[in-house]
Amino acid sequence: MKKNHHRIPDSETEAEAEANNRQMGRRNFLKFGAASLAASGISSANATDVLLPENSESVSVDKSQIITSKVDILVVGGGSAGTIAAIQAGRTGASTMVMERASYLGGMTTRGGVCYPGLFDAWGKQIIDGVCWELITECVKMDGGTLPDFSKVAKRHWMNQIHINQFLFYILAEEKCTQAGVEIAYHESPQQIKETEDGWQVDCVGFGTQRRVICKQIIDCTGGAEMAGMLGFPRLRSEVRQPGSIQFLLGKANNPGRPTSDKGAGLLHAIYVHGADSTNSRTVTEASITGRKAVLDKMRKTNQRLMHLQSEPGFRESYRIQGDTVITVQDYTSGRHFDDAICYAFYPVDLHTKNGVKPKPLKPGIVPTIPLSALIPKGSRNLIVAGRCVSSDQLANSGLRVQAPCMAMGQAAACAASLAVKHGTTPGEVPLKEIHALLEKHGAIVPKKN
Amino acid sequence: MLFVTLAVTGLMGFFLPFSLLTVSVHSLIGFVFIAAIGFHIKNNFRKLRSYFSNHTALVLLVLVISFIAIILYQPAPVKAILSLSSNKGPALDHFEIQANRMTYNYSPAPHYHIQLDFKGGSSFKPEKPPYIAIWIENKSGYHIKSLYHSEQADFEKLLPYWHHKRAEYLKNKQLNGKKKKDAESSDDLDALSSATDNYSFDPKDYIVPEDKAKESPYRVMIEINLSGDGNEHYEDQPSLVYRVEVDNKDPRSYQVLEIVGFPKDEVVDGETKWSLYYADETITTARDLYDSAMLQIDRSPASKP
Repeated sequence: MKKNHHRIPDSETEAEAEANNRQMGRRNFLKFGAASLAASGISSANATDVLLPENSESVSVDKSQIITSKVDILVVGGGSAGTIAAIQAGRTGASTMVMERASYLGGMTTRGGVCYPGLFDAWGKQIIDGVCWELITECVKMDGGTLPDFSKVAKRHWMNQIHINQFLFYILAEEKCTQAGVEIAYHESPQQIKETEDGWQVDCVGFGTQRRVICKQIIDCTGGAEMAGMLGFPRLRSEVRQPGSIQFLLGKANNPGRPTSDKGAGLLHAIYVHGADSTNSRTVTEASITGRKAVLDKMRKTNQRLMHLQSEPGFRESYRIQGDTVITVQDYTSGRHFDDAICYAFYPVDLHTKNGVKPKPLKPGIVPTIPLSALIPKGSRNLIVAGRCVSSDQLANSGLRVQAPCMAMGQAAACAASLAVKHGTTPGEVPLKEIHALLEKHGAIVPKKN
Repeated sequence: MLFVTLAVTGLMGFFLPFSLLTVSVHSLIGFVFIAAIGFHIKNNFRKLRSYFSNHTALVLLVLVISFIAIILYQPAPVKAILSLSSNKGPALDHFEIQANRMTYNYSPAPHYHIQLDFKGGSSFKPEKPPYIAIWIENKSGYHIKSLYHSEQADFEKLLPYWHHKRAEYLKNKQLNGKKKKDAESSDDLDALSSATDNYSFDPKDYIVPEDKAKESPYRVMIEINLSGDGNEHYEDQPSLVYRVEVDNKDPRSYQVLEIVGFPKDEVVDGETKWSLYYADETITTARDLYDSAMLQIDRSPASKP
C-alpha cells in the first residue's frame, strides 16, 4: 500500500501532452472568443459565449447517414468507472471512444448526485490513486475544497469520502478525455453487437444519429453489464435488489463540493426509491418519475422550496457479470489477496434494504482486493467490464459498488484492454506483470502481498 | 447469634460467588453489631476506661490498627490470600495489577460478567504500571459510562482522549433530547450509507437492556499511557486507544481489543477537538505495554448467584 499523501497535479503528464497534440491534429474543438461571435453576427453582451466551429459535424450531419467510427477501444458508459477507463485508455495511446447515454460524464457521481466519492484510503494509508485521484484532487483544488486527512481515524466511514463539485467534476472529466484524445459520444447507446475477426462491430443510436463502431476491445462500464448481456454472457442478479435514492435539497441553497448537512455527513436529502432498476430506459424512466413524485410529496408535506434535484435516482444495483472469479462476501471481509489482484477496494458491507442500511465495517487491517478475473465475463474475449457490475455476490458487491473501487477498476480495465490491443490478444491473456507495470506507470496503486 | 451470623456470611462471601443476599445479611447484621457495640460501650464505659489504661490493651490496639492497615494496603501475601476468594469484587467492578497482567472485572448484572485481561508486553512493569482508563461508548462514539480509571493522575495530560470524552459527556447528554427530536422529524429521509445513530446515554440500553428492542452494540474503549516513555520521535510517547465492539445480538465469548490510534487535539472554530490518528512507526515501545488484551463476556444465566 502506498503511504498517505494528497498529490495535486500541477502540470500535464508527458502522456497527456502527447495525446493532446495527437488530438489537436485530428479533431475539432469548441472555439472560444468574442471574435468568432462578432463574425457570426450573433449579438452577445460579453466575451464568454462559445460557438461551434463552422465545419462542426453537428452542423453538417446527414441524418440518414450511418457514421462509422473505427477505434481501438470502445468504452460503453461514461460513469465513475467509464470516465476513468476512457482517460486511461486514451493516455496509453489507444484510439478510444466513450459512449454515454446522458449528456455528461460521471454517472452516479454526477447524475445520481453521489458527489462524495470514496473510499480512497484504508487504515491510514491511501489505497487508490492514479487517474481518478488526479481528477478528484484537481476538482477539489479548483473548487477551493478540502481533502480529508487520511492519517486521522474516521469516526464513520463516510467521513473520508471526498466532497466534490459535481458540475465541475464532469467538465474536468470531459477536458481530460479530450486531452487524452478520447472521442465522446453523448446521447448514444449500443443497439446491436457483432463479433468480427479482430474485435467488434457495435451499432449504436442516439437522437438523429446512427453510428457503427468498429473496435478491437470493449470496456463495459454500463453498471448493469449491458454489453455482456447483449452478447448473451451469463449475468447475476439478486431477487431483491437494493433501492435507489433520489437526491434533492429542500429549504436551503445547494453548495456543491461542500457538506450540506449539519451532522457533517455532507449529503443531499435522499428518499429511497424501492424497486429502482437501471436495466433499460423504461425502468430508469419509471424510477425517475417515482422518485420525483416522492420529492413533490415531501415538498407539499414540509412546505419548503425545492433548491436542488438530481436528474435521476442513484442506482445501487442491477446486473453483475459472472466471471471466472466471483468475489464472495467472505473474500471481501477477509481481505483475500487474489493472485491476479489489480486494485484494492475499501468500504463497509453496505446493503440497503427496505428497512434502511446498517453498514458492517471491515475489521481492522482488512483491505479487500479485486482480481482481473472478476472483470472478464466467463468465456468472453475482447471484452472486459469495470464498475459495479464486477463479478461478485450481492453482499460483496454492496461494498465494491462505490466510486473509488469502480474508478480503480476502470483504470485497470483500460490498461488491460490497451495492452490487449497492443499484443493483438484479449485482456485475460495479457501478462499480469505488464498490466501492473502500466498501472504503476500511470500512478495507480497495485496490491502487493505482505 | 450475631457473631455466628457475621462469621458464616463472611465466609460465604469469601468462598462463594457474589450473592446480593449474603452481602445484604452480612451488612445488616454488621449494622446491628455496631449498634450492639455502642450499647456495650455505653453500659461498660468505666470498666473499659480502666482496661485501656492497661499496657496489654494498648498493644492489642496497635495490633488491630496494624492488621487493618495491612488489609487496606494489601501486600503480596495478603493479596494472595484474598485472591483465593471466589468473590472478586463482582458487585460492580474490580481492577487488579499482577506481575505480568492487569485484569478488570465488571458485572452490571448477575448474569452479565465482563472481564478484560491485559497480558503484559515487553514495556509492562508492574512496579510502574501504565495509566489506564476504561469506558464504554455507543456506536456514534459518545462516552456512555466510565468504568475504571487510574487514580490521582493528570488525566488531561496522561489520558487526554478519555478525559475530553468524559468532559463532553454531560454536554452531549443535554443535546440528546434535541437530537432525538431532529431524528424523528426526518424519518423518511435516508441518511445515505450512514450508520443508524443511537442517542441513548443510559448504559443499561447497551449492556443489559430490559427492553431487548432497545439493545444496541456498544464499544469497550481503553486509553493507556506510560509516563516518560520517550523515544527518538517523542519526548513522551502519546497514549494509545484500543477498542472492541460488543453486540449482544451477536454474542461472542471472547474478543480481542484492537488498536485505534493515538489522540491529538486540534482547534476547530475556536473549539478544541480531539481526534485519533493511526499509530505509525513513530510509536514504538508504547505499543508493547501489553501483549494482548482480551475481552471475555459471560452471559450465562448459570453464573447467576
